[in-house]
Amino acid sequence: MKNKRENFDNLVKTLSKSSEENQNSEKISKNEEKTVKISEENYKIFQKFKIKDIVFLAIISCIMLLTGAFMPLVSNIPIFGIIQICLGLQFSLFPAIGMMKVRKPGALLFMSFFSGIVLIFMNTIMFFCLLLCALIAEALTILIFRGYKSDWASFFAATLYLPLTLPFLYLWYKFFYSFTGEEGQAVSAFIGSDAGTAIGMCFAVIALCAVGAFIGVIITRELKKAGVIKK
Amino acid sequence: MKNFFSYKYSSLYPLIAIVGGLTIVIFTLVFANDVKCTYFLITVYLMMFLFIDYKVCLKSLIYLIIIGGLFFLIAYLVSDRLDQGVSMLNRVAAFSVGMIPGVSLGPDRLARNLAQIRAPRSLTIGMLIVFSFMPTLLNESRRVKEGMKARGSFTVLNPKILYRAFLIPFITRIVDISDTLSLSIETRGFDLHNKNYSVYKKEYIRFFDILFILLIVLCIILAVIL
Repeated sequence: MKNKRENFDNLVKTLSKSSEENQNSEKISKNEEKTVKISEENYKIFQKFKIKDIVFLAIISCIMLLTGAFMPLVSNIPIFGIIQICLGLQFSLFPAIGMMKVRKPGALLFMSFFSGIVLIFMNTIMFFCLLLCALIAEALTILIFRGYKSDWASFFAATLYLPLTLPFLYLWYKFFYSFTGEEGQAVSAFIGSDAGTAIGMCFAVIALCAVGAFIGVIITRELKKAGVIKK
Repeated sequence: MKNFFSYKYSSLYPLIAIVGGLTIVIFTLVFANDVKCTYFLITVYLMMFLFIDYKVCLKSLIYLIIIGGLFFLIAYLVSDRLDQGVSMLNRVAAFSVGMIPGVSLGPDRLARNLAQIRAPRSLTIGMLIVFSFMPTLLNESRRVKEGMKARGSFTVLNPKILYRAFLIPFITRIVDISDTLSLSIETRGFDLHNKNYSVYKKEYIRFFDILFILLIVLCIILAVIL
């Protein structure tokens, strides 16, 4: 009788051991699958957006809009690059922060769209210009940096974003006013009589945007160190 | 069909309102140098009282008088030509008249309309946040400034103070708010996948919406022909 009981106990022990081993091996394989998935996701250039990304980008766009609320006042002044000079700092600082937190291609495009929804009534031309420029800046960043993993990628895209509107605005004015036969007049009013001034303004816009993007990168790095923004 | 002909004051179909506003802005910018454009803007502005809340129309008139008047004066004094002043006034008026249909819409109606036509949810959510978050952000910046004053820094003109005492706390607060908001949105059942969802109180195109856009087009044609 005793022997039978011992045999039965042994059998139960071996069975429980084998089931535990099976469970452990399953867990290990699941963990391995998870790590593989995570590493694959990290390796991907194009990643899906989550709600928290969209919310952050929308709030950042809202700040961009608020800081650029004086745009309708400036947009009518016929001086080349006046809009970009006035908006340069805030339209590079906040996108840099947005792209440093949401390191996914399309972040800049989302920001442009969200700010453009309100901007469309303030300056319709600027809305289309910003969307196009965001697209080009993103494409260039992906080509050069292969995504937004490096901080320099965010800096590059944020610096390039607003200065790109300068040539597009020129083209737009040229196209727009050609309907009324005042093409030359409009373009000369936009560019100004002095080409040197226009070139100087271009450099000023680029420098201003670079400073803004740099401050944005520094702020985000500091917040990452403090643990406010998670990696 | 019964609802199609019913007249509801100040409830334009959201997408038609936006298209109408944009049409006004683009046409006026193209023909800003022409005096006909001024007549067009006056006609469209008066027409808007039939379709849009009169308070919104009057508010935009105040903006137009102050800002438009200022730009008219600047352009007139700089060029010493009346037509340049009128051209500048037209440009400012383009935005103040063109934005009336958009401003009269609530962000909720626009979001509902976009949801109805199955626009991507990421765009709808982001748009709602942008529209409804401005007062919150202004409040936050005010609080940060009060915090600055409590610590003895009274100006944001100093770059060091601006960076350390304003920008860093402000962005920290923004990150906190965005985290809380995204959690709140997720718990309310929003997600970015294209799952089926119901839209209550749908927006429908009515006869008067079509009439609104047709009248704008008619005004444009008359302005070009006459």
